[in-house]
Amino acid sequence: MSPHTLTPARPGAAGAVAGPGRLARARRRTLALIAAAAVLLVLMTGVALSTGQVSIPLPDALGALFGSGPAGDVLVVREFRAPRVLSALVAGAGLAVAGSLLQRLLRNPLASPDVIGVTGGASFGAVLLLATGASQALTPLAALGGGLLAAALLGAFAWRSRMAVTRLVLVGLAVQAGLAAAVNLMIVRFPAELAGQALQWTTGSLYGRTWPELWGAGGAVAAVTAAVFLADRRVAVLDLGDDSAGGLGLDPHRTRLGLLLLAVVLASLAAALAGPVGFVALAVPHLVRLLAGPPTPATLALTALTGALLLTAADHLVLHVLPVHGLPVGAVTATLGAPWLLVLMIRQGRLPQRSSR
Amino acid sequence: MTTTTDAPDTSDAALPADRLAAHGLHLRYGDRTVVRGLDLELPGGAVTAIVGPNACGKSTLLRGLVRLLAPAAGAVTLDGADIHRMPARALARRMGLLPQQPVTPEAVTVEALVRLGRYPHQRMLTPWSAADQAAVEEALRRTGTDALRDRPVDQLSGGQRQRAWIALALAQDTDLLLLDEPTTFLDLRHQLDVLDLVTDLHRDAGRTVVMVLHDLGQAARYADHLVVLHDGELAAAGPPGEVLTAELVERVFQVPCRIVPDPETGTPLVVPLARR
Repeated sequence: MSPHTLTPARPGAAGAVAGPGRLARARRRTLALIAAAAVLLVLMTGVALSTGQVSIPLPDALGALFGSGPAGDVLVVREFRAPRVLSALVAGAGLAVAGSLLQRLLRNPLASPDVIGVTGGASFGAVLLLATGASQALTPLAALGGGLLAAALLGAFAWRSRMAVTRLVLVGLAVQAGLAAAVNLMIVRFPAELAGQALQWTTGSLYGRTWPELWGAGGAVAAVTAAVFLADRRVAVLDLGDDSAGGLGLDPHRTRLGLLLLAVVLASLAAALAGPVGFVALAVPHLVRLLAGPPTPATLALTALTGALLLTAADHLVLHVLPVHGLPVGAVTATLGAPWLLVLMIRQGRLPQRSSR
Repeated sequence: MTTTTDAPDTSDAALPADRLAAHGLHLRYGDRTVVRGLDLELPGGAVTAIVGPNACGKSTLLRGLVRLLAPAAGAVTLDGADIHRMPARALARRMGLLPQQPVTPEAVTVEALVRLGRYPHQRMLTPWSAADQAAVEEALRRTGTDALRDRPVDQLSGGQRQRAWIALALAQDTDLLLLDEPTTFLDLRHQLDVLDLVTDLHRDAGRTVVMVLHDLGQAARYADHLVVLHDGELAAAGPPGEVLTAELVERVFQVPCRIVPDPETGTPLVVPLARR
C-alpha cells in the first residue's frame, strides 16, 4: 500500500506522535484545577465543621470527624455538624454531575434537573408525604420516589419518539410544570403550618439530615457517579449525533435512556438530601467548561468537586455568615454562582458556539 | 477459521467479500413508505454510487443499509448474513458510516474526533492500545489531516472538516465505507478532493465504498457501479457506461438530455438539451 494523501504529506510526519499539544496542556491545566478544588473542598469542609456555637479549631474539627480528640468535640462535629455539611457536599457533587450529563445528553446548555421534571417530581413526592402526615424522616425517600416518578413519566412519553432530543426537552418541561403545579396546589390547600414546612422544603434546605440518610444517599451518589465515569466513552460517541453513534455500533436511543436514568437518579438523590437546590446543576458544568474546556473524564471529576464546594460554601454562608436567618440554600447558590459565571463569560468574550457540522 | 473440503459455502467463498444486498426491502418513516420492495446487490471491492432525484429515497436506502433504519419488510444482508441479527459492534467493525450531517462536538480536536472511530474495537475497561493508535495514525495520514490533529474541528474549513470525519470512519478500520452525500456543502475543489480520497481508499486500501451522490457526472466518473433510484424503486443498476442513457435520465429526472463521453475520462456525461 502506498501512502497517499490529499495534501502533500508533511516531511517526517508519518506515524509521529504529536508533541506537547493542545490536549496535553489542557489535561495538565485540568489536573491542577482538580487539585486546587480538592484542597479548597477539604478546607471548606473543615471550616464548616469548626464553625458554630462552639468554635473548634480547624485541624481538631477534621480530626473529630474521624473520632479523635475530646469527646465533646467529637459529639458536636459528628452528631450535629457533619451530617449537614457532608450532605451538602454529596448533594452538590451529585447535582453538578447530573447537570453536566444532562447538558451533554440533551445537547442543550440550559438543561438541568428542572428541565426534565426531576426537581418537580422530588418536590411532589416530599410535599405529598407531608400532606399524608407521615414521619418527616421519610421525606428523603419520598423525594427520591417523586424524582423517579418524573423520570418514568418522561421515559414513557419520550420513548415513542425514540428518545429524540427535542422531544425529551419538551416532555420534560411539561412533566416539570405539571408536577410543580400539583405541589403549589397542595401548598395552597394546606393548613398554614404544614404549608410553611412544605414551602421550606421546596426551596431547598439541608436541615435535619441524619447519618443513615447520608450513608445511603452518599453511597448511591458515589456508585452512580462511578457509572457515569465508566460511561464516558459512550457519551462521547453519542455527542457525534445519533447517526454517527449508530454507525459506530452504539444504540443511541437505548444508551440515551440509560444515561438519562443515571442523571435522574443522581438529581433525585441530591434533592432527597438537600431539597430542590437550584443553580448548581445548571451553572457548575458551565463554570467548569469555561475553566477547563470541553468535557473529559477529568473535567467530570472537576465538576463533581466544584458542585460539592459550591453547595458546602453556600450552606456555610446560610448558617453562619449571612445576617438573614432561614434563607434557603438554593437562593444562596444562585447569588454566589451567578456573578462568578457572568465574570467568566465576560472574560471569555463570548459564549462557546456549537456548530452543526 | 476452519475449512473443510466439502464445506457447503465453498461456492460463496469464491465470490468477492463485502457484498451488501437488499432483499424485498421496504423502508418506512412513520407511515410514509420511502423505499418499496427493493432487490439489490452491491458488488464487493468496488465503488458504488447511489443516485436519483430529490426525495427518491437514496439517503433512506443508505440508512437502511447501515441499520440506522429497521426494514418494515425484507432484509439487508452482508455476505449473506442478516445485518439485523449481527451484534451492533460486530457490524460496526465491518462497515463505517459518514452521515450526511454529523454533529461536531464543541471544541473537540481532530485527533480526539478520530479516536472515537475506535469505539467498536474497544471494551469498557480496556485501555487505549497500540493497535488503536496505529489505526488513528493511519487514518490521519491517509486523509492528510495529521498536521491538523490538535486543531478544534469546529474551526476547520468545510473541506478539512469533511476529511476529519472521513478519518474517523477510517479509524473504524472497516472493509466497507458508506458515505451519505459526502460532497454536499463543499466547493468544487473540495468536492473533487473528497471523491479522489474515496477513490484512493478503494484503490490503495481495498475498501468497498458505497456513497450517495447528487451529481450524476461525478457519480459516473468516480463509481464502478451505479444504482439509480426513482420514487423508492430501483430504476437501473450497473456500470455507469451501460446504465446512464438519455432515456433513463429523462424518465427518472425529467430532464431531456444527450449523453456524451466525458472528454477527460470517457465516462458518460449528461448534457441537458437547450430549451427551444
